[in-house]
Amino acid sequence: MPIELAPRNKRGLPLRSPVMAGSGAVGYGDCWPPGLDPRAFGAIVTAGVTMRPRSGREPPRLAELPLGFLLATGDHNPGYRRVVAQYAELWRRLGVPVILSLLGAEPGDRAWMATRLEEDDPGIAGIELPVPEDVNLGEASAFIAAVRRATTLPLLVRLPATRAAHLAETCVVAGADALVIGTPPPVVYPAPDGTPLEGPLAGPTALPFTLRGLRAVAALHLDVPLIASGGIQKAEDALLCLRWGAVAVQIRSLVWTDPAAAMHVAESVHAAFAADSPEG
Amino acid sequence: MTGGMVQTRATLVERRVIGAVHELRLHDPRLAARLGAGQAVLVRTGWGMIPYLRRSFYPIAIAADSWVLRLPPDGDLGHAWLRLAPEGSELDCLGPVGIGFRLPDGVRRVLALGEGEAAWTLLPVVVEADAFQLAVALAAEVITPRQAIPPARLPAAVEYRLTTVEGGRGRLDAFWAELLPWADVVVAAGSLAFYRRLAEAIREHRFVITRGFAQVLYPATFLCGTGACLACVADVAGGRRRVCLRGPVFDLTDVVSDR
Repeated sequence: MPIELAPRNKRGLPLRSPVMAGSGAVGYGDCWPPGLDPRAFGAIVTAGVTMRPRSGREPPRLAELPLGFLLATGDHNPGYRRVVAQYAELWRRLGVPVILSLLGAEPGDRAWMATRLEEDDPGIAGIELPVPEDVNLGEASAFIAAVRRATTLPLLVRLPATRAAHLAETCVVAGADALVIGTPPPVVYPAPDGTPLEGPLAGPTALPFTLRGLRAVAALHLDVPLIASGGIQKAEDALLCLRWGAVAVQIRSLVWTDPAAAMHVAESVHAAFAADSPEG
Repeated sequence: MTGGMVQTRATLVERRVIGAVHELRLHDPRLAARLGAGQAVLVRTGWGMIPYLRRSFYPIAIAADSWVLRLPPDGDLGHAWLRLAPEGSELDCLGPVGIGFRLPDGVRRVLALGEGEAAWTLLPVVVEADAFQLAVALAAEVITPRQAIPPARLPAAVEYRLTTVEGGRGRLDAFWAELLPWADVVVAAGSLAFYRRLAEAIREHRFVITRGFAQVLYPATFLCGTGACLACVADVAGGRRRVCLRGPVFDLTDVVSDR
């Protein structure tokens, strides 16, 4: 029995496995590490895309932390038009639902892209909308509602892990079909050359933030699917998230640092999920 | 011959210690068969998740079933673990990353130019060029004699020039006038400042930097090696590019604009 990520949306977003490739883990679906392919995942979330191209932060972008790292790309991406033109055909033949991550530099950018997605129909199954760390409830509600009005595609709203419980209900009321918990908190750390970098935590050190946000949002009983994301490194981590209220999990840094381990997580969790399902 | 990336379990079969430097030979036939000069390998160090990120290495020797990495003296935690890893240890390796050095058809004289520790990464292409019976000259500029490649490590036919900054023999600049007009192709490894000096020297002694004349190894650090993470970007070839896909070996004109 598939997992339904958008039960209230007429299009629906069924996954055959609860493990998703998180935002940018495989680029736009074009960057597969050895040993991994689309069949490993229930869905993939693309790297973020903005309305116009962004060259992102100048190097250096990477700093290693104890049990993790900080990656500051500055939303580097080729822009909506080029991404859709370049990858639509790939998305249609990948054989796995593709969820496009929309980033907004300006108010209205995300709604503009959502409108274009309805017209362009590039073969995506849903949209992921990251909520910036510093937005208030009104701002979050406004941009999610604007995207909701612009598209009927399933809408996954990614919350900042440390503010997930505060923002969750507002995002659901504004039109989120599912909540992703979440973006780990931003930190500052020097790159090897001493340049200060700022960005979200990544790697295993992010997991406690994910678990805290997940438990807090699960306790709200909002009646939307929850997806855990951030710091998942082992099948046990993923299964813990599923026990604590998530219906699916996303992995990203593990795909980058250890593709074989990512494959093991995908296979193990899928097997456990299949064994637990009524038809399993 | 190189191919797609693989994730392998390499076995540490030999450790060579030269002062504070360690050279590790890894038995890794699947990766070695795909690995070319100038391509990187990402090695997981440590038993758990500390350190979390892989370390990037450019092999200093490539054989049919093994390759060699060099650990210079430094304070890196991952390198420290590798210095202590016993023979027989299994290392998780991901590679090869990117595009390496290519010896174009028709070249007869290859000039390899290295700066500091990076000069060691030229050894595989020097050996490859010598095996093709090309005339090869290696010129290296190092800070201390400890960084220098001993002549015995080079094929006998390779001409070798070495300058040591601490030894008072200065930089490679004294050799540019002789070597640059001689070469059909240059392969280089060093810092961006070194490549800017090289570009200036080529302009002075060959009047213009022709595309295809000089290939340089871009000094990048990698995270995923597949192009997904965007950590290794550099401002090259007229834009902000992923070094793991477009490099790490670039044409010099892509790294230093000819102006």
